[in-house]
Amino acid sequence: MPVIEVEGLVKAYGETRAVDGVSFNVQEGEIYGIVGPNGAGKTTIVESVEGLRNPDAGSIRVLGLDPIADRYEITERLGVQLQESRLQDKIRVNEVLDLYASFYRNPADWHDLLERLGLGSKEHARYADLSGGQKQRLAVALALVGSPELAILDELTTGLDPQARRDTWETIEEIKRSGVTVVLVTHFMEEADRLCDRIMVVDHGRIAAIDTPDGLIRRIGSEQRMRFRPSEPLDDALLTALPDVTAVTHEGAQTVVTGTGNVVHSVTALLAQRHVIAQDLRIEQASLEDAYLALTTDELVETGSEVR
Amino acid sequence: MAATMKLTRTETKLFARDPIALFFGLIFPVVLLVALGFLFPGFDEPVAELDGGRYIDTYSPIILALGIATLGLVTLPPILGAYRQFGILRRLKTTPVHPGRLLTAQLVVHGSVAIVSAALAIFGVALFFDVPLPESPVWFVVSFLLAAASIFTIGLLVGALVKTSVAGQAVGMAIYFPMLFFAGVWIPRTIMGEGLRLFSDLTPLGSAVQALEDSWFGTTPNLLNLGVMAAYAVVAGVLAIRFFRWE
Repeated sequence: MPVIEVEGLVKAYGETRAVDGVSFNVQEGEIYGIVGPNGAGKTTIVESVEGLRNPDAGSIRVLGLDPIADRYEITERLGVQLQESRLQDKIRVNEVLDLYASFYRNPADWHDLLERLGLGSKEHARYADLSGGQKQRLAVALALVGSPELAILDELTTGLDPQARRDTWETIEEIKRSGVTVVLVTHFMEEADRLCDRIMVVDHGRIAAIDTPDGLIRRIGSEQRMRFRPSEPLDDALLTALPDVTAVTHEGAQTVVTGTGNVVHSVTALLAQRHVIAQDLRIEQASLEDAYLALTTDELVETGSEVR
Repeated sequence: MAATMKLTRTETKLFARDPIALFFGLIFPVVLLVALGFLFPGFDEPVAELDGGRYIDTYSPIILALGIATLGLVTLPPILGAYRQFGILRRLKTTPVHPGRLLTAQLVVHGSVAIVSAALAIFGVALFFDVPLPESPVWFVVSFLLAAASIFTIGLLVGALVKTSVAGQAVGMAIYFPMLFFAGVWIPRTIMGEGLRLFSDLTPLGSAVQALEDSWFGTTPNLLNLGVMAAYAVVAGVLAIRFFRWE
């Protein structure tokens, strides 16, 4: 049974349909990413799942329960980190964890949680004295203090420096290893690529695609680009003659070969055969970022008028 | 229940970590009364303009009411505004504990501080200026609780509607100062003209001062004053519950 089942979700604010007919399933044990431009409806979707918003249409089941009608039972089993939520400046880390732990039937050992999240030395620190990364990790600790089966994390790493962001990624992988299903809302493609088993791309309140990170990248074609400086002049015709090569161009001293399939292998074999060394060789492949931009741009063209 | 207890304990600690709230909410009334008594010549002597009464006796109930108003209208609304602004109420909504318990905790904390603060002031003026301890203790307690209920529910209503801490502070202050005026902080009710005093009777703090003064000096409080406070408590309470926004 899926952990989250959403069918035909619609939520409008006034005239705007923030979420317009969204359906998806999240399976037990996976990290499920929700990505999309600002205002695409990501937060409205997860807040509907959390029971914070009452949808206009559609059905939502979370752990087999209704987020509004079975609100109490869901809060026991679902851990949440809200976007742009903070705590009282003068509350101490141990106080807030002790407090939140008292809310749940089966609280986790929060000392252990703090150690696992690398906050062990901050147990007695005041919230205001924590760094941005520490505040986010405390938010994760609070989301996990009730021993949830499912955790929903909304823009967890926004505003963090690259090191803090990487530390937080390890935390999320650790959560997954402990058997918790994770829904991750993000707009960092690198983050989604590294962490997520499946990704839902949302644009203008609709689903643009649901797939694995690799699946999304394959959708925009498997074109690869090789960039190098040949040690000796090389006739373009030799390269274009290779079956996998689609184009050859020059950028200054650099040769740029574009192709599909085994293009990297074919070109290196040719160079070896001709005793040409490929200096400063770089191979560029389509990234999730490219796929994301392609998917959300397509949607933008489709809907026409709403260009941002 | 355990969660409410824990919330109350946490909120008490947070209140105690705010030196400004602690000073104005807890010890300002006793400090002010004792300072007035010692610094103003004749403050603890019978004077003609109060028909032979003493200023210290007149001001004791006024400053007690001021203490309640400070907690209910100056301290409480910005805290509630901040809790909404920071998403603390919303965050609680995703836990098994309803955010309403946090409001209960706040009312318990502010109510307890109000009681301790009043006790300090009562014993302070009794010790230094021979102001009697409340002579109708039961009516005094009833008057005090009604005063606190009416003012705190108004503070709760302000806190129910404001989106930010700063807005809570601004709206709270905008109610606080006129209330202090009608409570007689600048012109005691005994000196007010007939019309102004009637108007003062219709404000919760004006009624609070009259009921506290009556019961303090052995008279049964006016039904009008008790009724006015009860009415404010009920109306503001219903409106606060009706319009409270968790986000």
